[in-house]
Amino acid sequence: MKIKIFYYLAIFLIYCFSFSQNETYISGSLESNSQLLQDDNGLNFFSPQDNLRSNNYFQLDFQNGNFSAGVQYESYLPSALLGYSEIYNNESGIAQYYFKYEDQKNEIKVGSIYEQFGNGLIFRSWEDRQLGINNSIKGINYKFFPSSNLEISAIHGKQRNGFEYSNSTITGLNSDFDISSILESEKIGLSFGVSYINRFQENTEVINAPENVNLIGSRLNLFLDKIYINLEIAKKGKDVLVNEEQIVSAKEYDGTAMQIDFGYSRKGLGINSSFRRLENFNFYSDRLSEGNIYNQQTISFTPALTKQQDYMLTNIYVYNSQPRLVINDIEKRVGEVGVQNDIFYTFNKESFLGKYKTKLAVNFSYWSSIEANFNSDESYDVEFIGNGKRLYKDLNFEIKNRWNKKVSSTLTFVDLSIDKGVTLGGPLGVQGNIDARIGVFELNFLDKNNRNNRIVAQHLWTNDDKKEWAGLVYEYAVSNKLNVFVSDIWNYGNENDLHYYNIGGSYSNGPSRISLNYGRQRGGLICVGGVCRFVPESNGFNLNLSYSF
Amino acid sequence: MFSVNSFGQKQIPSIDLLDFQGEKINTTDLLNNEKLTILSLWATWCVPCIKELDAINEVYEFWKEDIDFELIAVSVDDSRSHRRAQALVNGKEWPYKILLDVNQDFKRALGTSFIPQTLIIKNGKILYQHTGYQPGDENYLFEKLTEYEN
Repeated sequence: MKIKIFYYLAIFLIYCFSFSQNETYISGSLESNSQLLQDDNGLNFFSPQDNLRSNNYFQLDFQNGNFSAGVQYESYLPSALLGYSEIYNNESGIAQYYFKYEDQKNEIKVGSIYEQFGNGLIFRSWEDRQLGINNSIKGINYKFFPSSNLEISAIHGKQRNGFEYSNSTITGLNSDFDISSILESEKIGLSFGVSYINRFQENTEVINAPENVNLIGSRLNLFLDKIYINLEIAKKGKDVLVNEEQIVSAKEYDGTAMQIDFGYSRKGLGINSSFRRLENFNFYSDRLSEGNIYNQQTISFTPALTKQQDYMLTNIYVYNSQPRLVINDIEKRVGEVGVQNDIFYTFNKESFLGKYKTKLAVNFSYWSSIEANFNSDESYDVEFIGNGKRLYKDLNFEIKNRWNKKVSSTLTFVDLSIDKGVTLGGPLGVQGNIDARIGVFELNFLDKNNRNNRIVAQHLWTNDDKKEWAGLVYEYAVSNKLNVFVSDIWNYGNENDLHYYNIGGSYSNGPSRISLNYGRQRGGLICVGGVCRFVPESNGFNLNLSYSF
Repeated sequence: MFSVNSFGQKQIPSIDLLDFQGEKINTTDLLNNEKLTILSLWATWCVPCIKELDAINEVYEFWKEDIDFELIAVSVDDSRSHRRAQALVNGKEWPYKILLDVNQDFKRALGTSFIPQTLIIKNGKILYQHTGYQPGDENYLFEKLTEYEN
């Protein structure tokens, strides 16, 4: 198969260089992330035999007029970085390729396709290298633009799963219609979209499940000057209930999703509120991969709607969305419902706080299980919201100031409560909560050589789980290309008094960047864009290289 | 009959981005002109990105007095957080043109691994780029802008 790709690519390139009147653009990028692990008795970490691990990506793209093509080589030798899905271990080769043609009215793409319908509620295929997610669809994608306010698209293919493909076929249709172009007003906007996804997966001798499962979704986006409202609803057809790759019920269940966003913003003030309800709403290209911890083969995209924090101690207790239906002896739940609110505010320049360029960001979120009563025949009666167990609540604020040309600061405070099952694993709603408060003070100042010094002091207070944490980071910009840091987070107040120290630096010059660090990795969830991956504790060196051309 | 352009100045890839009203804007249409443009890839969850755009905001008017340029901030927030982006941009009084790259097609086409990624573009070509932000870096960016103005 790979020989064929090169064959087609060769034809494409011969076309570009021999017959085409257009200029051919070649671009590409390299990313390499490696780690060298070592034993650490303090962490109780024993490095694996293959203690030098590396994830590498090389992408090459060609564009000539309306045509483009590209390949991506990936290698995970001898094993993928710790915490990545094992399907990548010891694999290397051309993992992806595509050919694309586009003109004013059409876009045709074959090969590996990244696409999302609307907000991705029923379908999103994307790549996130930090999370080890690449769920592109290998197949064909056709987009048709009959007029400037209408788009119709179709996708058909198989989903990537490591270096192989899921054994189902995914077919999707999507249409977006912008009504506001008819209204011809800049202050009013109205658009409407519908989407459809089908998964066809053949039954086997031991599996008797719906071979076709359909999802439909629709959405409406409205804005009136400073206000916007977005509505999205979706429904998933009946499918079997799966837990740890086993069908666990003779019954079949459908699912629903609903999201409403409301916002108001003007100069100096922005408000956003989101409500979302997910009942049995996660969907995978392989029915048996439902709920897998590595987020492989996902079709629906239902990330946690909470504020993503960027400091070490604010990232210990993070919420992960809970759209699953689970019915077993230990726990019974049908999904999650909740809200998130944000306020961003800049103080008036004339006011006292405005003189110090004070900017305020407040965020609040509350997520709970949907209340449901389970019957003896494994059916359930469900409330729209009800009074289900709280899974997460979080009130946080951030105050940024610039004191003068050389000194600025950020003060962050988080007050949260998280269900132990969400953050530590195990059944939800029965193990109790972890209540924690986190304070972070970040100070940036330029020294007499105009080099930046960054100091971050942070503390996490809790009587639960592993008790208290304290952290300190010092980072120095040696030049505008090179910076170095040293950091430590200290877990104390329990039996294992532990320091997670790190030292490192990065050098960035134009399109190239290299970073190296040595130290201890805290175990836990690493989250990007509301999707989380669990990483185990470890100790060692990490080297990252990236270059684009 | 043909020519290849790769290792010189990189051409901006042609990708459709969205504005907050959901209108599609193609990067080639947007950037294939003589105006000097700073293009910053950012996200609501990226602290250094926001620091950089806040810092430039404070000197934006002064820069504008000296140099004719535009700053376009492309958010790579996915659908989890791009709603927050609009509130954030207004709440922070950013004067920039904001565009959304919700499935990271543009980020991928640029070969960007880390954000913030800041580019200076003219005539659709990347003249300068930098990854990461430390306070004070904006001064260097201004020097580069001045350099490319002429």
